[in-house]
Order: sequence, then structure tokens, then C-alpha cells
Amino acid sequence: MNYQPSDFLPIFVQLAAAMGFIVFTMIVTHILGPRRSTKLKDEAFECGIESQGDARTPISIKYFLVAILFVLFDIEIVFMYPWAVNFKQLSWTGFWEMAVFMGLLLAGFVYVIKKGILKWEK
Amino acid sequence: MYLLFILLFPLLLGSFLLIAKPAKAFGLALGGSIIELIISCILLCDANTGKLPTEFISNWIPEAGLKFALFVDGINGILILLTALLVPFIIGSTAGSEKANDAKYQGLILTMQAALMGAFLAKDAFLFYFFFEASLLPIYFIINLYGSENRTKISFKFFVYTLFGSLFLLIGLIYVYLRTPGNTPSADFETLYQTASVLSTKEQSLLFLAFFIAFAIKMPMFPFHTWQPDTYTVAPSQGTMLLSGIMLKMGTYGVIRMIVPMFPAGIANWGNWVIILSVIGVLYGSIIAIQQKDMKRLLAYSSFAHVGLMSAGMLTLSNEGIQGALYQMLSHGINIVGLFFIVEVIERRTQSRDLDQLGGITSASKVLSIGFIILSLGSVALPLTNGFVGEFLLLKSVFDYQLTIGIIAGITIILGAVYTLRMIQKSMFGNASKFSINFEDLTISEKLVIIPLCILVVLGGIFPTVVLNYSQPAVDLLSKWIK
Amino acid sequence: MTPVIALSLFGIINLFLGFTFKRQSLQVVTLLFIICSMALTAMDWNHEYLWFGDMMKTNNLSINFSLIIQLAGLLVVAFSNGFGKDEVYTQPAEYYAILLFSLVGALLMVSFQNLIMLFVGLEILSVAMYVLTGSDKRNLRSNEAALKYFLMGSFATGFLLFGIALVYGSTRSLYISGILYNLSHTAPESLPSFLYAGIILMGIGLLFKISAAPFHFWTPDVYEGAPTIFTMFMSTVVKTAGFAAIYHILDVTFGGFQKNWIITVYFITIITLILGNISAAYQQSAKRMLAFSSISHAGYMLLTVCANQPSTSSNILYYSLAYTLATAVSFAVLMVVAEYQTGRTEKPENFDALNGLAKNNPSLAFAFTVALLSLAGIPLTAGFWGKFFVFTDMFNKNLTYPIIIAVLMSAVGIYYYFKGIISVYFNSGEIEKIETSFLFKIALWSACIGTLVLGIYPTLLKSIF
Repeated sequence: MNYQPSDFLPIFVQLAAAMGFIVFTMIVTHILGPRRSTKLKDEAFECGIESQGDARTPISIKYFLVAILFVLFDIEIVFMYPWAVNFKQLSWTGFWEMAVFMGLLLAGFVYVIKKGILKWEK
Repeated sequence: MYLLFILLFPLLLGSFLLIAKPAKAFGLALGGSIIELIISCILLCDANTGKLPTEFISNWIPEAGLKFALFVDGINGILILLTALLVPFIIGSTAGSEKANDAKYQGLILTMQAALMGAFLAKDAFLFYFFFEASLLPIYFIINLYGSENRTKISFKFFVYTLFGSLFLLIGLIYVYLRTPGNTPSADFETLYQTASVLSTKEQSLLFLAFFIAFAIKMPMFPFHTWQPDTYTVAPSQGTMLLSGIMLKMGTYGVIRMIVPMFPAGIANWGNWVIILSVIGVLYGSIIAIQQKDMKRLLAYSSFAHVGLMSAGMLTLSNEGIQGALYQMLSHGINIVGLFFIVEVIERRTQSRDLDQLGGITSASKVLSIGFIILSLGSVALPLTNGFVGEFLLLKSVFDYQLTIGIIAGITIILGAVYTLRMIQKSMFGNASKFSINFEDLTISEKLVIIPLCILVVLGGIFPTVVLNYSQPAVDLLSKWIK
Repeated sequence: MTPVIALSLFGIINLFLGFTFKRQSLQVVTLLFIICSMALTAMDWNHEYLWFGDMMKTNNLSINFSLIIQLAGLLVVAFSNGFGKDEVYTQPAEYYAILLFSLVGALLMVSFQNLIMLFVGLEILSVAMYVLTGSDKRNLRSNEAALKYFLMGSFATGFLLFGIALVYGSTRSLYISGILYNLSHTAPESLPSFLYAGIILMGIGLLFKISAAPFHFWTPDVYEGAPTIFTMFMSTVVKTAGFAAIYHILDVTFGGFQKNWIITVYFITIITLILGNISAAYQQSAKRMLAFSSISHAGYMLLTVCANQPSTSSNILYYSLAYTLATAVSFAVLMVVAEYQTGRTEKPENFDALNGLAKNNPSLAFAFTVALLSLAGIPLTAGFWGKFFVFTDMFNKNLTYPIIIAVLMSAVGIYYYFKGIISVYFNSGEIEKIETSFLFKIALWSACIGTLVLGIYPTLLKSIF
């Protein structure tokens, strides 16, 4: 099937509308909104309590590890949706392929546990 | 098989010495080099009379059409003889010094011999190039491990200089080689001659320059000589002998073997300038040699002057010029090795090479002074010495080429006599200085080096026809390509 | 494509072996794994197979490339020595596993039939390299190098991907065969102009990976910052795989459009040669010098890509092999000397740190010298023939001026490689006998002998390439 450039017109219209709205609102809020800045107003708002220290404090690497592992294992679900939908057409081939995939993932999981990454206190 | 033997034997023996480091290195190396000399002589005689095959050809890189081809004819026969003849003397000259049983040193000399043999034996131009370059490595290590002060810098200059030149040779060779007929190109000398003969004049002149720069640096020729005096001076004596006695001849051999038959049109274009440059080199080298105080440096410049005359003679493209150059290569090799050895002998005893600090050695050692005089006269080209034959033929060819250049080149004989006689007078005669006052007579091993060399000088002057007749057929074949 | 599967599995197995095995036994196991996968690769010799939905093709060319790449991996593992004795901060199992995974990426890059596969292979290889570059966690230089490599590398990947998209847009296929088919069935005038932009962009993405100028700025910093063993890996495996891919894209796929990309690539080649060699001549640090020399060698290899002759693929193979052996040896010697000199001198990777190596370590010095001579292209070594074949190709194409530049730059090259030889042999310095492991010695000697054998008798391999 051949697409002509004109076939993309709706996409361009939508793009222009989306971009245009953002640009429009940003400009308009700048122009319309009154600006009165005081020292108190410029301070960072933290639950109404006086802020303490620097926002950029070091965080334990464990948070990141857990976060990234969560993302990793979460992705697996994304792959399983289309597989489940096409389960019948893919038949056994699909099943084994998914089994291999899950097997690898499981191996990774075992590795993670054995490395002690999920142990919070060491 | 003889061809393969004389190439591989020094290589294997040298590698053995380098790796196993036996204690009696001197005996092994000397014995090996004498065996090499004997086999080479057998090969040269029998190949000439047709008893032995003159070629050894086997595949090397069939994909690129390169062959591992060795051969011997009248031209490279002389250089093979030179290499095989001089190395025993060079190894013998270490006798009595601490280097004699240094296996690494002897091993490097022998591997150097193998590389030089390879370059002279090669029938395939890339094989020639291969050995041409490979010979740099052993000499680089000889200079750097055993040379005198400042050697690192100077040998580095030498290495980069010569390698830089030979890169041009490489691309020039590739250019001609890719134009050879047939499915896979070939780098056999004969094929290259044929291919080069149909190239246009413009191509020929450019290629001539590319080839010539490599050989001119190797020889060296004015104005590419700046590496030479320093390198000769810092190298250990045996290194200097190898450099001046044999390695320099790779440059002149390259000119005869490749440039002369391949690019006659290029020579017609540039030859005049190059011959003028050569003659300038002759004069320049001689004049500087007159002012030198360091004997090694003096000999370096004299060698530079001799080479200038050789290249001028070869590039006249005349039969006498080429024959003269070939003969001069042989005699110059013998003379210069002898002279450098005498300098080494004097330096061993007096720790000095400075002409001002020497004198009065004649009374201490008759043999040394007689040997010195004979070798010097050979170098000055007195009739009945070997130098005369070559120099005469070379000068004749230059005279025939152009009278004025010939006359200027003729001055070299006078200048040569001036610096050589000055060297003899200052070092041998006069009053003994505090350095030479306790000069000891020659040892037997030293006499064994000097006396045979002197005999060769005289023999070469009396029976030049043996060598000239040997090379004549090959030179005739070469002249076929010049027309 | 059994080696791809095998190597992936081996990598995973390696991760688990790390829990029980000691580092030295891990090294041996990894070596066996790589040898096993090399055997699997070699089994496909003289067969042509399509794999993974026709997205990969193995033939003799790809097998040769795969073998060279795995050989480089083998050398790196043998030189690695189990990554030292530091128990806390080095994780050998993980390093070996990542090395195996990155080999998978490299194998995909040499046998792809589909542009997506090229992208996937390149990413597997690159991401692994980003990690390994930063593996020396406590070293600031290593961290900086990793971040720099990562940022620049992803930028280059962006270029590649953009190029792939443009090519896909204009040829309506991601398969090499499909692209070739469509190109041959379309009149040249009716091809959209962004096809050419796509070719150039893909070229740029790949040229970045092989560090051709002006995309080379990351190279010296990354090579210097990364642990030497991984620098060795980077400069051998990544480069060979990169060149296989460049050859496949520029010469095989878009060889017909040479007039459209040749000027750009020409220009890049010449700057690469000049910048790489001239900057290398100024370096005080041997490691940095090797980094610049790797840039300059990319230039020589690009020359033969420019020439695009029938012999180009075999010349790239030969050059890669010669370069791989020589670079691996020179980095290996540099690595052990730097390890010895750490704490003894201020800058353990400078040329000065090598001073006097030959006195007590003749074999290390000899191997180092052979490697540098090969890199400089002196006869008797494999490097000479590599250059020789490249020059031959260029003359066949009548590229005279680049040859002159290449020759001049070779002379410059001799200058800086000899700095290493001079410090090893002729400068005075005190280095005691350095103890190396058995595997290290074997790898060093076989690479060294390989260089010499290929230098004397190149037909040995040239006949099968």
C-alpha cells in the first residue's frame, strides 16, 4: 500500500493542535498572571514545615536497584499480554518460546536473590 | 638447495646464538661464517658453469602472485661473494675483545648477514623489499645495544630516515607490480622490467624518483646523507663495517637491479641532475673528509664520496659504468672493512681515534702500518690495487657521459689522496703521543684479519678480469632493457 | 547461529558459577566456553545458513570474522588473570559473563541480514562496554570514561537508528536482500534524496564505534580511563565487529551508491589518518598512544573500504587479525608493567614506566617489541602485510593521493611506536622480574608467534580469507 503525503494530514493537524495548545497556554498564563514575589513565596514548599538541609542528599543505592529490578520484571507482563491474546495461533511453538523467556527471567531472579540484592539489611 | 642454504644457514645459526646464548659464541659464529663462505664460493662457481641450478622458486603468497624466488647471476653473485667474504672478517675482528663471546652480538651479526643475503638473492621484488627492510632491525639493535653515547637518538634518526625512503620504494613497486600482465600480478624482476618498459615517460620519471629516494637514502647520496656520519661514528666497529661494507651496497645494488633496467626513460629525464648531485656528493664528502679529526668520521665521509662516484657511474647507463660500479662495490667493501678494523685496533690500544692525539705507530707495529698503507692505497685507487679498476671504469663512463662532469669527478682522486695520506701521516708517522707511546704489536688474530684483506686488495688489482668476466653476461642482459 | 545461543547460555552459567568457583577456575571455564563456541562457529564452514527469520546469515566471511572476534575474546580472557587479587571490588564472574554477552553482540554485527539485527548487536556490544569501562568503581577516571562513552555512544546510536529509519523509508525494507532488490528495481532518479542522508547517517553511527575522526574524541579518554584489560577488549573486538558492519553496509549493501558516500568517507579517512598519527606522536602515556594508534589503524582499514575491491573483505580480515594480535599483546604487557609500577612511579602507564623492561623480563620485552613492530608495519610481522594489501587495493582503485598521505603517516607511526621499543630496550630503569601466570605466558607467546608467522608466510590464512 502506498501512502501519499496528504494521507498524513490528520496527524499533522493533531500535532499542530497539541503543540499549539501548550505554547498558547504557556504564553497566556505568563501574560495574564500577576507576579508578586516575596521571600517567603520563593522558598520551597515542604508540607508547610520549614525546609531543612539540601534536597540533593545521597540516597542508598538499594532504592535504585529495587526500582530497576521492578521495571525489569514488570516488562515481562507487557510481553505476556500479546502472547496471551494470540495464545491459540502461536500454539506450542509460542508456548515453548515463552517458556524459554520465563526460564531466563527466572534465572535472573534467582541470581538477584543469591546476590543478596533484596536483603535490605546486611 | 644451495641457494636456500646460504640464506637460511646464517639465520638459523644467528637465531640459535640469540636464543640459546652458548658460551663459545665466537668459535661458532666464525666457523659458521666460514662454512657460509665456502658454500657460497661453491655455489657461485658451479652456478656459473651450469652445474648447479641458478634459481630456487617456490610459492610464497600465491593470492598476490608473490613468489619466494632466489637466484644468482653475474650481478648479485658479486654481492653474495662480498657478503660471504666480509662477514668472517667482521666476526674475526671481534677476537680478543669482550664482544667476542657475546652470543647476542654475534647472533645479531649473523642475522644481519642472512637479511643481506636475502636481499641480494631475491628474484621477487617484494622479497627484496622484505629483506631490505628486515636488515634494518638487527643493525638497529647492534647500534643501540653496543654503540657509544647518544646512540639512541642517532640510530633512531637512521631508522626513521631509511624506512621513510623505503616506503616510497614500496608504493612505487606496488604501482608497477599491479600493471603486470596476467590474472594475478607478479613481482618477478623480469616481468617488472617488461611492464615498466611500456609505461609512459611521465610515469617512468615519477617512479624513478620514488625508487631512487629509497636507494639514495640507503647509499647515502647527497643531500640524503645526514644520518650517515653520526651513525657510522656511534655504531660499534663491527656495526660500521656491516653498514659501510655491505649494507650500503644494497642501495647501489637496488639501482642496478631495479632502476637501471626499469626506468631508462626516467633516467633520461632526471639522470643528468642525479649525476650532478652525485658528483657534488663526491666533492663535498672529500672536502669534509679532509677536515675531519675523528678517523671513523673521516672514513665515513670517504665512503660517502666513493658511493657518489658509483651512483654517477651507474646512472650513465654505460657498460663501463655498471661494471665499474659492481667492481667498486666489491673493492670498496674490502677496503673499508679493513680500514675500519685498523681504526678499531688503534682505538683498542690508545682509547682514541683523534688524529691529533695519535702518531708514531709505525715504529711500534710494522704490520699494522704496512697493512694500513696498502688498504689506504686501495681506497685511493692506486694502480695495481683493487680500487683502481673500479674507479677507472667509473670515471671513464662519466667522462664519456659529459666531459665537464668527468673532470670535476676526476678531482676526487686527488682529494682522496689528500685525506687518506693525511690520515696515514698523522696517525702512523711523526712522534709518538702520550696515547700511542705504549703501543703494543698486533696479536695473531688481528694479523689474521689484516693480512688476508691486504692480499685481497692486491689480488683485486692484478686480476680484475676474473670478476669482470663473471659479471659481464649479466650486465649485457641488463643493457638489453636500457635500449 | 549456534554460537550466539551457546555464548548467551555460557554467560548465564558463568554468572551462577561465580557463587561457587574461584576466580582462576572461572577464567579456565570461560576459556573453555569460548573455545567451545569457536568450534561451533567453525562447524558451519562452507555452508550458508539463514537464521532467526532470515535476519542473520552465516557464510565463510562471517565465520572468519566471528572467529577473529572470538580469538580476541580468548586472548583477553587469557590475559585477564582472573582480574587480580582484589576480592572485594572486582567481580570476575560478572565480568566474564559480560564479556561473553558482548561477544554475542559482536557476532550479530558480523552476520546480520536485517538492519534491526545490526542495531540490536551494536547495542548489546556497546552497553556491555559501557558497563565494563566503568567497572573500576573507585577510580574517578574510569567513572568519567564510562559516562563519556555512554553519552557519546548513545548519541551515535541515535544517528545509526535515524539512518536506518531513513533507509527503511526509502527502500521499504529492513532486510539487506530486500533493500538490494528494491534499489535494483527502482530508477535512480526516482529514489528519494533522504536515502543518501540515511546512508551517510548509518555510516556516521558506525564510524563512531570504530573511532574514526572527527568522531574520535571519546577514544583517548575512554581507553585511558577503562581498566587496561577492557581497553584491550574494546580496541580489538569492537573494532573488528565495527569494520565487519561498515563493510557490510557501505560496500556490500550500498556499494552501488559509492559516488554518493565516497567523498564523505574519503574525507573522514584522511582526517583519521592525519589526526590519529600526529596526536599519537605527542603522547607521553603509552596507553594513550595506543588509543591514538587505534584511531590511525581505523584510518588504514577505512582506506580499503573506500577502495571497495573484490579483495576488500579479505584484506579487512587480515588487517583485523594482525591488528588484534598486536594490540592485545601490547596492552597485555603494558597492563602487567603498570600493575608492577603502581605505587612505584607517579604515572605507571607512561613510556617512562617501561624503561629497562628488557633487563629482567626479556620475554615481555620481546613480545612488546614484536607487537609494536607489527603495529608500525615493519616487514617480518603481520602488520606489514596488512598495510601491503591495503595499499594494493588502493592502487587498484587509483587512489594515489591518499596513498601518499598513508605512507607519510606510516613514517610518523614508526616514530611513536619506536618510543616504546626504545624505552623497553635502551633506556635505563629498574624493573624486577614480573611474575605472570601460565595462561598469560601461553597467550602472549602464541599471539607473538602468530604475528611473526603471519608476517613471514601470510598465505597461511590469506588463502582461506
